[in-house]
Amino acid sequence: MIHVDGLVKHYTDLRHGHVVALGGISFHARPGQIYGLLGPNGAGKTTALRILSTVLRPTAGTVTISGFDVLTQPSQVRHQIGFMSANTAVYDRMTGWEMVEYFGRLHRIPPDELAERMEQLFERLKMNDTRDVLGAKMSTGMKQKVSIARAVVHDPPVLIFDEATAGLDVLVARALLNTVAELRDHGKCIIFSTHIMREAEKLCDRVAIVHRGKILAEGPLEELRDRHHERDLEELFFQLISQHDKAHPPAARGFAAQPAPQRA
Amino acid sequence: MSFSNIKLILFREIRDQARDRRTLFMVFVLPLLLYPLLGMTFLQVMQFRREKPSQILVVGAGELTSPDGDTGSADAAEAEAPPDASEDDELEPRLPPLVENDRFSRALFVDPEKAKLMTLHFAPTEPRGGARQVPDQLAEARRAVQAGEYDAALYFPADFTDRLQTFRRTLEQRRERGAQAVQDEVPFPQILTTATEKSQIAAVRLNDVGMAWREQVVVSILKARGVPETVIAPFRFEQHDVADSTTYQGVLFWSKILPVLLLIWALTGAFYPAIDLCAGEKERGTLETLLSSPAERSEIVLGKLLTVMLFSMITAVLNLVSVAVTGLLVLQHQPNFGPPPPMAAVWLAIALVPVAALFSALCLALAAFARSSKEGQYYLMPLLMITMPLVVLPMMPGVELNLGNSLIPVTGLVLLLRTVLQGASWEALQFLPVVVGVTLIACLLAIRWAIDQFNSESVLFHASDRLAMGYWLRHLWQDRRPTPNVAAAVFCGVVILMVNFYMNVALKRPEMALKWPETFGDVAQTALVTQLVVILTPALLMTIVLTNSPRQTLLLRRPPWRAVPAAALLAAALHPAVTVLQSLVVQLYPYSDQSEPALRRIQAAINGAPLWQVILVIAVTPAICEELAFRGFILSGFRHLGHKWRAIIYSALFFGLTHMILQQSLIVCLVGTVVGYLAVQSGSLLPGMIYHLIHNTLAVSVGRIPAAWFDRWPAVRAWMNRTEQGLEYSWSMIIAGGLIALLILLWFRRLSCPKSAEEEFQEAIDRGLNPETEYAKMAVQLEQAPPA
Repeated sequence: MIHVDGLVKHYTDLRHGHVVALGGISFHARPGQIYGLLGPNGAGKTTALRILSTVLRPTAGTVTISGFDVLTQPSQVRHQIGFMSANTAVYDRMTGWEMVEYFGRLHRIPPDELAERMEQLFERLKMNDTRDVLGAKMSTGMKQKVSIARAVVHDPPVLIFDEATAGLDVLVARALLNTVAELRDHGKCIIFSTHIMREAEKLCDRVAIVHRGKILAEGPLEELRDRHHERDLEELFFQLISQHDKAHPPAARGFAAQPAPQRA
Repeated sequence: MSFSNIKLILFREIRDQARDRRTLFMVFVLPLLLYPLLGMTFLQVMQFRREKPSQILVVGAGELTSPDGDTGSADAAEAEAPPDASEDDELEPRLPPLVENDRFSRALFVDPEKAKLMTLHFAPTEPRGGARQVPDQLAEARRAVQAGEYDAALYFPADFTDRLQTFRRTLEQRRERGAQAVQDEVPFPQILTTATEKSQIAAVRLNDVGMAWREQVVVSILKARGVPETVIAPFRFEQHDVADSTTYQGVLFWSKILPVLLLIWALTGAFYPAIDLCAGEKERGTLETLLSSPAERSEIVLGKLLTVMLFSMITAVLNLVSVAVTGLLVLQHQPNFGPPPPMAAVWLAIALVPVAALFSALCLALAAFARSSKEGQYYLMPLLMITMPLVVLPMMPGVELNLGNSLIPVTGLVLLLRTVLQGASWEALQFLPVVVGVTLIACLLAIRWAIDQFNSESVLFHASDRLAMGYWLRHLWQDRRPTPNVAAAVFCGVVILMVNFYMNVALKRPEMALKWPETFGDVAQTALVTQLVVILTPALLMTIVLTNSPRQTLLLRRPPWRAVPAAALLAAALHPAVTVLQSLVVQLYPYSDQSEPALRRIQAAINGAPLWQVILVIAVTPAICEELAFRGFILSGFRHLGHKWRAIIYSALFFGLTHMILQQSLIVCLVGTVVGYLAVQSGSLLPGMIYHLIHNTLAVSVGRIPAAWFDRWPAVRAWMNRTEQGLEYSWSMIIAGGLIALLILLWFRRLSCPKSAEEEFQEAIDRGLNPETEYAKMAVQLEQAPPA
């Protein structure tokens, strides 16, 4: 479903000079699976997911989604995915209904089918109260629901959530996690990036621990625990990262454990 | 690209803008309120406006003052003769009075009321007969005016009246004696002013009064001799306006003002929505949402572009209508002033579409670059600075629609509109295809730029790094690559242009505003300094500092051996065509009156010098220096753009601009494109150098072919014609040369053309590459220059 092979992303930045945001990462995710990308801030998660959503272009390496290449077939890729991140906001001057309808139509869903699907979606996500509210007047939870509806309106096989729970209160975050789990049960292939271990433990079937543009460990959660003899995921995470930092002390420049550009 | 997506985006953006109260106010309400308010204010201010009297110090006019006050009411008609003869103890007729009742005599004004506009202050004088003025009264008046105590001073020298009377008497005597009398010169009265506006106004008023008074003096002299007054103005010229109703003055006014207003409002109307649609979306975080939707970048840009265009057009239309209505109401009482011609609306509407498209695309591209709305607002000024000269140029007197002007974007359109509005449709029609073509190309380029901006990650996602000189310099040094980056190429080009400009200014001698080299020594000195200091030095320095492989940057590689003779042949084969183009350009844009003789002198100086010296200075040096700079450093930098043709054209543009004289720049640009192509295709600087060398050598030596050769060898006659202007290539030569050149260029096209990593990457994407093999290759290439 999702194949990432040797993905490299460089960019140039005044302070850090030539930055390697991703130093050749590879992973594969299957339908009906939630694949967790775990990493501290600036590990390269956002950059990787932006490449998956074709917003950024890879410097090297291949990424295919449902067999489509992100570099040469970006528009097909975008039809396959629903992308939701802390940077994908809702329009201030559009109501919830208009917003979801707009993206549905960009996905060329026939009008009748779209109306039907939206009714179901608004029902399922319990968001009929946001139907006629302008984005500017919505609460964070309402906006989050609209974003989810926007991401899944075309029923994509692949869903990408980039730190989707950032800034949400417990209730909203919990509702979101439930929705994600539900989507998995519908057979979607889901990539879920986070730096909150509890979310990963609760949700992910497989995780990759990303740090400074590299994958330090990868596999099903249980397998990782056994491999590193550490039951607590947070401890495991911390252990891996400090080991890596000890082995490769961060250079003053040339490599930046720095955020991908323009983080909200 | 799908039209339905563009439509979808367009409608969404329109709805979005329509829900923004500020936009609605700016676009719809403001123009309807603004001009009536301005008109109202104008009328109000006009009511309060009054002319202030000038404060004038009068020195030494005691003799010219009417002795008693009652003459002040004298009718203008009878004022020409001194009205009172009370002092008949003097036989001599008095001079016409200059001052009456402490004002200038009312008879001196066409409108006697204007006399009140000058308040006179008299410098104290001693009683008549004594030494009437202290000698330093002039200095005192000077000081008073300088100190701003008076707006101006009118100073009569001490013996002015006496001398004037003497002059008069001399004339009298001459008549009586019938002999020549010595002309006694009358000393000049002086008007003292400063640079302030009030003072300048006072000076104009004083001058008018002075002239009128002088005329009266002349008339009085003539009268005394019985010569009729009409002798000083036996006839006058009458001016009749024969313009018919379609070309009355109003048309001239409207045809100048409406196109300019159209452009200004189309630009303003495009700017604010563009900022909101790009920078605003970035700021609100919705841009990434849209970018990850199935809409293509070009669809997004076109959807947004059409929205911006729509708002630009509505703004322009509403403002023009409002201006026209208000203008008519306020100015309707002006004579010769009518409404704009009715067809104006149609023409303006037609012109509005391309204008709005061009400005919208420019605004969109700029706005895409801005990180926030606030940053976007800052870009308005530079945009205006670039656009306004193109709008204002047609307003300058004497600038008319011709082929040269119609080729300038925006300017051509404004001139075309003006010509049409003035009723000369037929004349305008001839230039219509040119203007339409130029405008279309400009529009397409601007749209292309906007789409490129939306495809550029660094533009869409650049981090708001704070500007830190230290970081930047360190970055320049530590992150050097084998070849310079695009920014370094631009920087190098700009440095060369600026140093060249200042050098030119500095080399000019102060005594002549436009000093051109006179002798070949001067020419050689200027040329060598320009080549070595202005062009070569910055390029070499930057190569050393900003790159780590001078060899790769300056293309110091061995070319395929055939490329060298091929380049030489190409230069010779293309030279006739280039010469013809050059003369066409000069016909289109003739040299200015100043530069033409200067260029002729330079040409003469060059023709007079020994050939080997000329070739050394004009051909060999530039072939080395300019090639190293423009095809070496700058072209290598631009190749990181990922499109070789863009790199060639940008470097050729800098190459052309360095030549300062527009007529030369155009051709140099073209030659630069050819040379750039040779450098890119062969991967070496050498073929370009050879081309450059041969091209310049031919340019300086063809004119030297001795006349005898034409008689001796028919081949020379077939090759060249001798005309009045000098030698010209024959048409058969031009065409044959062109064909040969084409073949050679096709041969160059087959060369391997070493590509930059970005170009490979771009090409791979354009081809829809096979990821397995080519990705790997590219990754290796890009990894070749990893960070230190």
